[in-house]
Amino acid sequence: MERELVVTGVGGQGIQLLAKTLALAATREGRHAMLSADYGGEMRGGPSRASVVIGDGPLRALPVLASAWSAIVAHHRFGEPVLARLRPGGPAIVNLPLVDPASLPRMTVYGVDATAVATSVGAPQAIGFVLLGAYNAVTRLVDPASLVAAMEELLPPYRKQHAAANARALEAGAAAIGGRDVRHAEVRR
Amino acid sequence: MTLELLEGNDAIAASAIAAGCRFFAGYPMSPFTGLLESMSRRLPAAGGVCLNAESEIEGVNMTLGAAAAGARAATGSCGQGIALMQEAIAEAALNETPFVVFNMARNQQDYFQATRGGGWGDYRTITLAPKDVPEAVEHAQLAFHLADRYRAPVIFYGDPLLAQTRVGVSIRPLDFGPLPPKDWALDGTGGGTGRSRQIWTWAMGKATDPGPGPDRHWRAVAEKFAAIDATESRFEQAHVEDAETLVVAFGSAARFVEYVVDELRADGHRIGWFRPVTLWPFPGAALTAATTGKRRVLVFELNAGQMLDDVRIHAADRAAIRFIGGVSISESGLAFGELMDAPVIRDRILAVLAEGERP
Repeated sequence: MERELVVTGVGGQGIQLLAKTLALAATREGRHAMLSADYGGEMRGGPSRASVVIGDGPLRALPVLASAWSAIVAHHRFGEPVLARLRPGGPAIVNLPLVDPASLPRMTVYGVDATAVATSVGAPQAIGFVLLGAYNAVTRLVDPASLVAAMEELLPPYRKQHAAANARALEAGAAAIGGRDVRHAEVRR
Repeated sequence: MTLELLEGNDAIAASAIAAGCRFFAGYPMSPFTGLLESMSRRLPAAGGVCLNAESEIEGVNMTLGAAAAGARAATGSCGQGIALMQEAIAEAALNETPFVVFNMARNQQDYFQATRGGGWGDYRTITLAPKDVPEAVEHAQLAFHLADRYRAPVIFYGDPLLAQTRVGVSIRPLDFGPLPPKDWALDGTGGGTGRSRQIWTWAMGKATDPGPGPDRHWRAVAEKFAAIDATESRFEQAHVEDAETLVVAFGSAARFVEYVVDELRADGHRIGWFRPVTLWPFPGAALTAATTGKRRVLVFELNAGQMLDDVRIHAADRAAIRFIGGVSISESGLAFGELMDAPVIRDRILAVLAEGERP
């Protein structure tokens, strides 16, 4: 079984780091992973997209995905080309209120106000990890502990002080979903 | 088998070092820069040397020097930088110095450069074109083996997807069999051991120890390349037996074609694919066999039609050939354009299939 995720947002939201964290977590669990990144030259505010594929054997998926099962949509801008390739019915985590859940009518949409959730646990910079925590609570692609370990492994020495806040953001994101199918869920703070 | 999640450039560098590469010199150029950076991080720890040269010309000539001293040595760039290296690559081919050139290309417009070369003389460069990162890891080591086996420069033809996609890979030294000793290597002593030979394109030798001279030497080099052509071509193919239509592609594009062909077969189309793994030597006899009796031979590559020449030379029926590729580069000029996409390739194939349908 191969599972594809597309992540889309703008530079500065943590898109690349969350995608790398998921891919590394799956790799550390002994599974096959592929990560493709696509971002503009701008440091912040430009297009930032990534795709992650996880499978139990060598992957069939292409580095430019022909179609995808799931999505994390952190911002409404720049997402259209990748979102058009989502297979209907799969899960999509959308960042409220920046992204309108109705913009993905064919998906099973889970809304999370990532900024509010991140702020509530004292990790306002970590909205990407809130969205990743929520995504993994819905999809259960990896063990939540693997996400924390991968996040810690990816932090450079001069960022280690953020590890605890990032871990809280991952956990709070999962709690915001609550493990239930909460289509168009209300914001949970 | 533990998998490591590595960016392609990093995986290729790690694999080259696992194969014994101990010298690397190059000049940054996207998407090759990541490979140079990875070499600069990894080589010192392995007891090797990595140099950021003043330009591609210095980089390739430093590599030629390290290789002449017997080291497993490599350089790299993208095709635009490798254009500058042609003189040294031709020189190495004629003076029989083995090294590897990592072309982390921006697209597929480097086929002629790799397979025809731009230097002087009757030489060719063995060119490996992996289709994905796991195969690139294998080819990074195979390239050094073939270089040492034939005392010839070898080109590794990568691309932006191979350079920048992160994939779980396992890197360990691969065994491709025994190699002749490098008893020709310069050892830094002037006439000391007597084992080292002067390496010179004209092969005149020394006053006290005359060489074969250019006539004999260049004929011997040409014969060597003819022998490589006869034995070292590699290819991969699928669904050839029942296919009416065969799609020929190389590198990453072949992986995309493979994906699309699987989909089209699931829809009932009688279609297969053929991939040259070595661009030179081109697997001509295999392509002739694979295309025999086929109604259509489609060529997909992201250039104006370069491999197309080799397909025309070797296809069983030239009239069956249709070119469905084209020049396609991203806005930045540094990566593939929109043609490297499964739905686009699918549409192009289907358009040709529809043309051929009888009313």
